[in-house]
Amino acid sequence: MAEQTAPPLPPSGRIGVVVYLAISALVFVLMMVLGVLMRLSQATWVELSPNLFYEVMTAHGAGMVGISGLAASGVIWYFLRRYVDLSVGILWANLAFFLFGVVLILGGIFVGNYAGGWTFLFPLPGTSAGVWGTGGAASYLFGLLSIGVGFLLLYLDFARAIMARYRSLAKALGWPQLFRNSSDEAPPPTVVAATMVLIVNIAGILAGAVVLVLILVNLYAPQFAVDPLLTKNLTYFFGHVFINATIYQALVAVYEILPKYVGRSWPVNRIFLAAWTATTLMVMAVYPHHLLMDFVMPTWALAIGQIVSYLAGLPVFAVTAWTTLTIVHRSGIKWDMTSGLLFVSIFGWSAGIVPAIIDGVIAVNHVMHNTMWVPGHFHMYLILGLVAMLFGFMYYLTDQGSRKGLD
Amino acid sequence: MTPLAALGDRWTLIAIGIVAAIAGTPLGPALAGTMLGHVLVQIPLLVAAGWGIGRYLEPRIDSQLRRWNAGGIPGILLASFAVGFWMIPRWLDGALTDPIVNAAKVVSLVVLAGMPLAWSWPRLHPVARGVVKIELLAMLFRLGWLYVISPDRFCNSYLLTDQVWLGRGLIVVGIALGITWLVPLFWDGFATATDAGAAGTTTR
Repeated sequence: MAEQTAPPLPPSGRIGVVVYLAISALVFVLMMVLGVLMRLSQATWVELSPNLFYEVMTAHGAGMVGISGLAASGVIWYFLRRYVDLSVGILWANLAFFLFGVVLILGGIFVGNYAGGWTFLFPLPGTSAGVWGTGGAASYLFGLLSIGVGFLLLYLDFARAIMARYRSLAKALGWPQLFRNSSDEAPPPTVVAATMVLIVNIAGILAGAVVLVLILVNLYAPQFAVDPLLTKNLTYFFGHVFINATIYQALVAVYEILPKYVGRSWPVNRIFLAAWTATTLMVMAVYPHHLLMDFVMPTWALAIGQIVSYLAGLPVFAVTAWTTLTIVHRSGIKWDMTSGLLFVSIFGWSAGIVPAIIDGVIAVNHVMHNTMWVPGHFHMYLILGLVAMLFGFMYYLTDQGSRKGLD
Repeated sequence: MTPLAALGDRWTLIAIGIVAAIAGTPLGPALAGTMLGHVLVQIPLLVAAGWGIGRYLEPRIDSQLRRWNAGGIPGILLASFAVGFWMIPRWLDGALTDPIVNAAKVVSLVVLAGMPLAWSWPRLHPVARGVVKIELLAMLFRLGWLYVISPDRFCNSYLLTDQVWLGRGLIVVGIALGITWLVPLFWDGFATATDAGAAGTTTR
């Protein structure tokens, strides 16, 4: 594995990561409360007016997606910083843009009464039937834009730092080793993962930056009737890529921490590199599996959505799950909260992928679309996979990790 | 040194030639005859000419520049506003109907957009360059989309079909620029990687 050559992490960098995670843990709890509130309302144990229910649903969705992105980016930043010289200032700038965006989003929802769902599907932001005003919807959309700007800065800094050390994204993805049998040393798993993430997320943020502004234009000038299908495609490309990329960022905690527990290195072989390259493409191509009931979608796009659904979870997942089992097997690993959570997270990720693949089958989707199956799948995937990874990393960051001499 | 050579290198001469051709020959009105030619050919040519002239002037006024153009940010903002101003349909129309507005367009795109761009781009932090590039792509796609779907004409001087062609052109330019910027990020390192023939591979 490549040596850790970046300058030592300054205290402000470590504090930054801790602040990312502290805010995330707090918001996770708050969002859980909102989730429970919605379930209680559906069970008629608590009475929420329909408008308030959808406001809560919008806040829960936007909050969970945003905070998952923030926490996961903190994890990957922490480990990537060991190999390349990332900017601590940009880490904090991302947080500032994020918090500013959160204020705008909460204002849009709970002051402006925007309740159109976190996916802001066109033409909903502009057609509220009087439930919310233009200002509420605009505040929500500007909030998302602000968060997007922050993450764009962060991922561009990833790109800058990786390019400075590896000179090209192809090298950072290990393409010379994968395609040319190069004798150069392969990049470490964290660098490969970060390169994949920056590629897909910059593309997603670009799509989001286009579609959010177009919907804002439509809010104030409805004569600009944007194509709802194209808008939906761009929205899902942006949103699905962003939430999907969170698990690939948090996964780095498994790659970096578990090997320390077992005293074995995480193997970077051609299968590993091929898996990450394939996933780079698939993460960007899989979103049409959410549009299977949009019958006006071109058939080829739906076919790609279904086929890539079968395949998307497999490369990195299969390689990671197999490697996790093999490096832990007969390693004499000492189980504690960190190692336990990280190990369980791979199970949670696997278990969460299965219902996603099932729902990606058109025949199943025909029945399951707009049922609780969909939120069920991604809650399982995120809580047992992503959240377990994040909490494993949080335990690692505490004294518990350093006492074991893991760093 | 010939008087012509004293004006600068070959690129500076080409830049001055472009400005002269657009300002003083039928090329300018010919390009402005269509919305596509006006926005996607004439305006970028004037900015590029300003860049060429700015490149030549930079070493001569470097110390003054450093004072007000820290990190290249003020210059990039100035250039963005100057180009943004000439994206306003009202002023595109004005440039076609009023020679003074047209002269202001030529001068401002050269002096306030192209030259500051040349002075600022090399000083800009790589992350800021990335932001400018991504925002430029996003703006090309947004404007292109708006021009294609707009039910009304933005400019009195151009037809609705002209506007649709410009919209398509902006989207094509956005895609082309995106590919142009993306490919070197992958290709450069890939092409120079060491093959395994000379030494044993370290990748299993």
